[in-house]
Amino acid sequence: MSTIEQEMVHAAEGGHHDHHELPFIRKYIFSTDHKMIAKQFMFVSLFFLVIGGLLATMMRWQLGYPGEPMPGGMLLPDAMMAPTPNGAIMLPEFYNSLVTMHGTIMIFFAIMPLLVGLFGNLLIPLQIGAEDMAFPRLNMISFWLAVPAGILMLSSFAVEGGAAGAGWTSYAPLSVSGEWTGVYLGQQLWLASLTILGFSSLVGAVNYITTVINMRAPGMTWFRMPLATWALFVTAILILLAIPILAGALIMLLFDQTIGTGFFRPEVGGEPLLWQHLFWFFGHPEVYILILPAMGIVSEVISNRARKPIFGYHSMVLAIIGIGFLGWIVWGHHMFMSGMNPLLGTSFMISTMAIAVPSAIKTFNWLATIWKGDLHLDSPMLYALAFVSMFIIGGLSGIFMASTPVDIYIHDTYFIVAHIHYVLFGGSLFAIFAGITFWFPKMFGRMMNETLNKVHFGLTIVLYNLVFWPMHNLGLQGMMRRIYDFTQYEYLAPLQPMNQFISISVFLLVAAQSVYAFNFFWSIFRGEKASNNPWDSNTLEWTVPSPPPHGNFPEMPVVYRGPYEYSSPESDTDFYPQTKPPPSKPPVQELIPEPVTPTPEGF
Amino acid sequence: MSTGEAHKPPPYMLVWAGLFVLTIMEVLIATVTSIPKIWLVIGLMAMAFYKAYLVAVYYMHLKWEPKRLWLLVSVPIPLIMILIFVVLNEIFVP
Amino acid sequence: MTTQAMTAGRAPMPGMKVYNLKLGMWIFLLSEVMFFTGLIGSYIILRFAHPEQFAAPGQVLNINLTAFNTFLLICSSVTMVKAYAAIQQGDQQGLKNWLLATIVIGASFVGVQVYEYIALAGEGFVPIADAYHAVGRHMPHDGPAIGGQLYGSTFYTMTGFHGTHVSIGVLCLCFTYWRAAKGAYTADNLGGVEIMGLYWHFVDLVWIILFTIVYLV
Repeated sequence: MSTIEQEMVHAAEGGHHDHHELPFIRKYIFSTDHKMIAKQFMFVSLFFLVIGGLLATMMRWQLGYPGEPMPGGMLLPDAMMAPTPNGAIMLPEFYNSLVTMHGTIMIFFAIMPLLVGLFGNLLIPLQIGAEDMAFPRLNMISFWLAVPAGILMLSSFAVEGGAAGAGWTSYAPLSVSGEWTGVYLGQQLWLASLTILGFSSLVGAVNYITTVINMRAPGMTWFRMPLATWALFVTAILILLAIPILAGALIMLLFDQTIGTGFFRPEVGGEPLLWQHLFWFFGHPEVYILILPAMGIVSEVISNRARKPIFGYHSMVLAIIGIGFLGWIVWGHHMFMSGMNPLLGTSFMISTMAIAVPSAIKTFNWLATIWKGDLHLDSPMLYALAFVSMFIIGGLSGIFMASTPVDIYIHDTYFIVAHIHYVLFGGSLFAIFAGITFWFPKMFGRMMNETLNKVHFGLTIVLYNLVFWPMHNLGLQGMMRRIYDFTQYEYLAPLQPMNQFISISVFLLVAAQSVYAFNFFWSIFRGEKASNNPWDSNTLEWTVPSPPPHGNFPEMPVVYRGPYEYSSPESDTDFYPQTKPPPSKPPVQELIPEPVTPTPEGF
Repeated sequence: MSTGEAHKPPPYMLVWAGLFVLTIMEVLIATVTSIPKIWLVIGLMAMAFYKAYLVAVYYMHLKWEPKRLWLLVSVPIPLIMILIFVVLNEIFVP
Repeated sequence: MTTQAMTAGRAPMPGMKVYNLKLGMWIFLLSEVMFFTGLIGSYIILRFAHPEQFAAPGQVLNINLTAFNTFLLICSSVTMVKAYAAIQQGDQQGLKNWLLATIVIGASFVGVQVYEYIALAGEGFVPIADAYHAVGRHMPHDGPAIGGQLYGSTFYTMTGFHGTHVSIGVLCLCFTYWRAAKGAYTADNLGGVEIMGLYWHFVDLVWIILFTIVYLV
């Protein structure tokens, strides 16, 4: 983090040092405190979110105004832009790099660390009543592995040949040799960076799983855990088991490129399809890694802001687990067009459609939670509702693609681009906005400005739909997904005005995010001071000061009930904190288990 | 662990002898005998997995661990089978 | 660790009656299982798809040497588990002796593997697809290549990653030995030895599978 950010964090933390003072570098840089690591992840991934957004803007310039000089293009080196008297025109190779890096950075360096790195670190220990992660030092290592991975990824823009250009999926044989893409070192840096990042996620996942299994406060049974923690727990399991497969595939591809093995090189008998299988065997769980925590966050916000217990808590948990498992048996639906044994194609089609069941359970439960609730339409709730509606659209278009005959037509068109952005932007990113806004007081001790957030919400939801809804049409009219200049085809040339419209909307959409950015930084310093529990929430993180001190809980909390007891008749307020003892009964002794007998020290 | 006192010491050397004998048998079957390839592969894999099972259960002390850990440890097994079975079906069409 | 210090006498509710470090190691090993699944699975798939690229057992690879190496690794597992049994009885000297034995045997395994690699590469069996010209151990040097380019690629990647795991294990064992020499482990405090053992046995377990799949089948 830069010094400015450290100072901001410092200012926000002010006044909660009742224990021994750690030196600056241990407290803000090489910190082992899960809350600080969460903030570190947040600042770094928000930075990458901005980078990814800028890459998308450049892509949209080329698509909206193909072959026209890009404003500011003269600032970029000649390897990316072809200078002309009127300005610089984007080169096709650079466009390929933009497509690849936009996908990679958004998925691996923005959304995933925001959901898993930020919310996983922030919420898991606080919501289960633990003083920190099970392995605080490993947690620190996890963050400090992610940083060099990010630097490697960004540095690949500066090397000869440019950044990786084979798409975020890096299909072999395109990615195997620089002969095809013109990218040599950039592709290798891409592979190395993702391998390091994978290790970072893996270390984090081990930590989350151990923490959730073994460090819950007395009385925090499995079915009293908040849904955000449940979702993050299942996500961690998916990361744990999926990332190593990706790591293996990345390493084999790296070997193909550097030392000249032949895994994915068809000319020596290798199997390019094997890459696709390995990649999507990881890739489909990855998709759920990107949506499950978002679902958890949204469940928290909706239940809280509707002042009602979440509808069907158990079915919500089972749906999370169900999605987590089904994620492993559907990867083939990314490969319908790769040529596939028809029997397998059909089974993948059916299993993919089966995912609609748990997803629909969750959606209907959210709707039922809102139904006749005491709705508080403040910004976290608005973002959460946007998540639900956009996720429905994205989910429905997903069912189109799951059907093999339809997919044959829309495969690799802008329809796919529309779908992925409806679930990743409309879904995950709105949930991230909801989550950051909701837990901002817990992180920084101040509230975000409500008016600015509502302005941001209004602009974003409108512009976002203006950007991505027309992409469905583009796709159905046959515009392919990764194309530098679609006007070269006669049948696509009439799509130019619609593309221009999308591009203008993208520019406005990106500009509208500055409202949130401004609000974010302004609120860290100047926001209204927050109380311990500004949202009248039940879960454990709201029983401690904002921001929580080192060690979180002054003493181990005891949990008496589930997390969503809003408007309970048993309580005199409309919320009923998990730690509040029931009025009639004395503190429940039997809930407090015997301590584990052997607790040997580690290394 | 706490079970160490309750039970008699685990049969470490016996397991070692078992692993040793199985390895010798594997090498002999693979190099000396001439049974059909399919049975050879099945037999060798069965022996290998039995050896792996012995190591996990006795040396990694799974035998004395709670059943929940068994459950946790067996999570990847279906995934492995799914991956290999499906991709084989896909690439190797007889 | 200060876990118990701040909890005012109440302990967390463990879902698994296993201490954190051991649970964490098991969970990490699960991901290792998936990593080797990726590598071994690719090998199986490539081999089924292109049987002509792979040589019969013993044609290129030296089974006897590797069987000896397997024996070494199995022995090191026994010594490791003996080290753990020793510290369970509080036997510091026994712990150190058995750990030392494990280090020596584990390092020998790596040594034999390096020797094997050098010998194989000398016969033209290399991981580089374009330069592959393995002629095999019992064949005249100007004979036809045995197997194909995928053979070397998969062989060196799988055994190489296993060897890397063994090497990392040996380094960790040295660290454990250093800690043991300082008297850091007792009968009540042996988590470090136990999770070291878990990792080491897991590496052994992977080799048992690899040996059969790569050398014998």
